[in-house]
Order: sequence, then structure tokens, then C-alpha cells
Amino acid sequence: MFDTATILAGLGDVFQLMTLLYVLAGVIMGQFVGAVPGIGPVMATAIAIPFTFGMDPLAGIGFLVGINKGGLVGGAIPAVLINTPGTPDAAATALDGYPMAQQGKPLKATKMALYSSVTGDTFSDIVLITVSAPLAILSLRMGPVEVMGLMLLAFAVIASLMGASIARGLAAAALGLLAAMVGTDPEHATPRFIFGNFEVYDGLPLAAVAIGMLAISELLFRLARTRSAQAATIRIPRDQPSEDRRVSFAEYWACRFTMLRGAVIGTLIGALPGIGSTAAAFMSYASAKQVSPDRASFGRGNIHGIAAAESANSAVMGANMIPMLTLGIPGSVSAALIVSAFMIHGVQPGPFLFEQQGRLIYGLFGAMILANLMNLLVGQVGMQFWVRVITAPESFVLTSALLLCFVGVSLAAGGLFGIGVMLAFAILGFVMTAFGFSVVVFIIAFFLGPRFEISLSQTLALLNGDPLRLLDYPFGFVMIVTAPGLAVWLARRSA
Amino acid sequence: MQTDRITGATLIMLGSLLIWWIIPWQAEEVGYGWLRPRTLPYIISAGLFFCGVWMMLRPVAEGLTAANWPRAAIYAGILVSGLALMSLFGFLWVAPPMALVLMLVVGERRLLWLTAGAAGTPSAIWVCVAILLERPLP
Repeated sequence: MFDTATILAGLGDVFQLMTLLYVLAGVIMGQFVGAVPGIGPVMATAIAIPFTFGMDPLAGIGFLVGINKGGLVGGAIPAVLINTPGTPDAAATALDGYPMAQQGKPLKATKMALYSSVTGDTFSDIVLITVSAPLAILSLRMGPVEVMGLMLLAFAVIASLMGASIARGLAAAALGLLAAMVGTDPEHATPRFIFGNFEVYDGLPLAAVAIGMLAISELLFRLARTRSAQAATIRIPRDQPSEDRRVSFAEYWACRFTMLRGAVIGTLIGALPGIGSTAAAFMSYASAKQVSPDRASFGRGNIHGIAAAESANSAVMGANMIPMLTLGIPGSVSAALIVSAFMIHGVQPGPFLFEQQGRLIYGLFGAMILANLMNLLVGQVGMQFWVRVITAPESFVLTSALLLCFVGVSLAAGGLFGIGVMLAFAILGFVMTAFGFSVVVFIIAFFLGPRFEISLSQTLALLNGDPLRLLDYPFGFVMIVTAPGLAVWLARRSA
Repeated sequence: MQTDRITGATLIMLGSLLIWWIIPWQAEEVGYGWLRPRTLPYIISAGLFFCGVWMMLRPVAEGLTAANWPRAAIYAGILVSGLALMSLFGFLWVAPPMALVLMLVVGERRLLWLTAGAAGTPSAIWVCVAILLERPLP
């Protein structure tokens, strides 16, 4: 499709000093904001876009890509260290990362998160670079029926594996779907469950609900449990052996299939617009747990749990670019923001992008791979810093985390109203957790709810009242029919 | 077991409340279309109802997380009061005393850490958000 000169020129562009520095700055900023609950890479990208106006297109887009990739690594830090995932996609990482940190191995847990995140991300970037066009065509063939089937499958897997029982898992999913219905319904645009409050016309803000349910409710649990204000948030033994502070190559290699599986799941889900990294992380986690001979150790600090979640949620990022670059369809909010940056720089994403801007695109690919390497290097230093921060007393760390959540949600979800929503859902999350309902299932259902309702509506329109027409969509049919049986089977296996 | 039955009964009540009162009140009735505004809420509410029945009939004796409810209520009260005060005076004036009260309730008495939590963190947030990012604080 291109001559070698275009590819080499594009890859060479990324090695200009200013471009390298902007990518590095993006990675550092992304890792930092990713570690702050509520702000996250999406918001950082939105804030950073105006700063790219004056930059060279490759430097500007590389800077934004760096923020996104850094944010993926940064998001795992609070999830592992204080069990308060800043974004829903890091919630799966906390399941095993936090228990491992509590065992006095926070550095090992964060490093495994870093390595598996970079591995998953690099895998999806390679897929993007090599087979983006055929994958985009495949993802376009996934119509509403297939997307709805995939979501049903995701609900079934997640609801049956999380929480104390399958009834609780399903109830948590139902509550999440109900919360997702606040606002206007997608088919008729009539208001639902707004109780006269027009601020929720567009639905409840995701950041406020997610931070409230995942982070604030956990902080409330931690604060209520704290017995000694002088205790460090995490105790690291003074005579800790060096193997508890690092991930050996043997440990990394032992997780290769888990990471590969996670990267494949993340890449496939990332290629489909709108499903997102949260579902990918949990599906990967669930599959790693199912195939493991030591299922009981999951949720108690199993390194494979971290590898599964991080490789999948990071793989989504590169794959999100597949429909964006080839078809002009952004696969996520981050990808949509990068599309806007492309347009600001006079570049129109879509089928002709590779022909018209081949050099820029290969430069971008080079920047993505470089950002992964920088993520690895910056992460090595950054993890040491965060692990030191976390040895401060709980009273300081938890209070500071609360203030950061207040500000983060205020910025992301519309001021004091967003904070009010966050606190309401924090109380709901606290009650749900106390009674054995998984807040993670709630959040995933809440996140996928609007897309699920649209897909269901479109599916019903396609079927035109005739259920037998479902047979015209074999992949969707199989997924829809399999979902309930799979839920029961998984629940029995994990019981 | 008993908790499961009580939780199940709560879900049954919630499902019933949604079906008989909240959905008819808060979702418009539309007579056309493939997926009407009330359809999915009704299906999900019925699902909640049946989950409740399931939990009552087949309770399990595990999965609860021990919670210190009175202390959690105190912290939630501080946060809600902080939010109410922020709507009057703003984050900059409310965050330091709120952080100080939280740390004192936790039991922190060391001046260095109290200063770091009540003055250091809010100042750092102010510098990052209001000065560097030029975004408004709540």
C-alpha cells in the first residue's frame, strides 16, 4: 500500500527531539493524573487538547497518546495501593492487586500491573499496525444483534463470578441498569426517573457514580475500620526480601498466557466501538480465574489476576484506534478526543487517511510504540514514588484521597451536583458491599446500560416481531442463547 | 441466612415499588415503537423481584463484609456537611477544616500530619487545579 520510504520517513519523524519530549511529557502527565481518582486520562486529554494547537501534528497527537497510555498505567496505582480504583477499568486490577499490597508487596503488585499493562498495550498496537484494516471490516460486521449478544455474555460472565451469590450478582447488575436509565430513553427521547431534576437529563455522570461506588465507599470502609491513626496505610517489612519488591522474569513469563489471553480479549473488545476497557478487564479476569488450577487464590493476591486485568484494559486503547483510523469511528471517549485533535490539525480520519497522511500515521504508530517504552521507564521510577507515598499514615492518605475525589468529580461531572451524586452513590456502594452485592457488577451494568438499550431497540427493529429472524444472525444468536446457561455454569463452578 | 432473607424481602419490596409506583410515575407511556420507555425498566424490576424471591428461598450464609456502621455514618455525615458548606463558601474555605475534622475523628493528633492533611493537600490541589490547569474549584 505504501512505499518503504513513507513508512521509514514516518517512523523517523518520531525521533525528532521535540516529538520525543512531548510524548515523554504526555506519559509522565498521564501516569500522574491516572493515579488521581476522578481526573483520569480522558479528562487530562480534554484539558490538553488546546495546548496542542501550536504543536506540530505528530508532536501534538503523540502528546495526547502519551497521556492516554500513561493514564492506563497510572489508574492501576490507587487501585492496587488503597483499593480505590480511579476509573472503573482499574477495578478488576484491585481484586488481586490490593490483597497483594496488603501482604506487604505493593511494589511487586504495581510492577506486575505496569509490565502487563505495557505488554497488553504493545500487543494491541502491533495488531493495529499490522491488521487494522481487516479487523475494522470485521468489527463493522458486528451489528446490533451481535453487540447485544456480546453484552449479554459480558453481563452473564461478570454477574455470575462477582459477589456472594448469582442472585446478588444479577440484582447488582439490575440496579446498575436501572441507574443507567436515568435521563432520556434512547428510542423516544422521553425523560425517565429524573424526578424533576433536569441536571440528569443526559443521565447520571459516570465519573461521579463510579468514583462514589468504587472509591468513596471503600474509603468509608477503611476510615470506619481504622483503629490507629499512626498506622501506615501499607506496612512494608523492613527485612523484606528483594523478590517481594520486584517481578522476576520467571514470574512474568509464567503469566505469558494470561497476558496473551487478556491482550486478545482487550483487542477484540477495543475494536468494537463503545464497549470499553472495563468489560474487557473483567472478562479477562474471569477467564483467567476459570482456567487456573488454583481458582481459590484469585481475589487473595494472585499475580495472574493483576496480569489478566491490566493486559486486557490496556489492550483496549490501541484497538480503539482501529475503527478510528480506518473508518473514522472513535471506539471510546479517549479516541473521540484524539479524533478532534486530528481534525484541529487538519487531518480527517477515515478510509483515505492511510493514503493521504501515510507518513503521519506511521509516525503516530512509532509514537505509540515509543510511548509504551517510556511508560515502562517512567513507571519504574513512578511506582517507587507512589509506594513511598503510601507508607504515610492512613489518616493522611485517606483524607487526601477523599479531597482529590471531591475535586476530580467536580471537574469531570459538573461541580457540586456531581459531588452530591458521588456521595449518594458512595452510601449506596457502602450498603451494597456490606450486604455482599458487587459494586463492580453495578458499575459495569451502569456503564454498558445505555449501549445495551440502544442495541436491544435496534435488534427488535431488525427482528420486526419475528424471533425466528434471530437465526439470520448466527453469531448474535449463539451469544444470546449461550449467556444464561453460561451464567449458571460459571456460578456453579465458582461456588 | 437471616440477612439473605431480609435482603431478599427488601429487593422484593423495591421491585414491587418500581413496578407499581415509580415506573408509572417517572416513565412516560408511549404507544408505539419497538422498545418503549417503560419496557426495559419493567423487565429489570421484575428481575429484581425474582432475585429477591430467590434469595429468600435459597439463602446463603456467606459474603457479608463486616462494617462499622456508626463510624461510617459519622464520616458520611462529615462529607455531606462538607458538601453543604462548600455550596455556601466554596472548596477553598471548607476543604481545610473538613480534612482537619476527618483526621481528628480518625484519631490523628500529630501536628505535622494534621498540617500536611489540612493545609498541605488542599494547597497542592489549589495550585494544580486553579493555577496550573486554570479550572474552577468546586
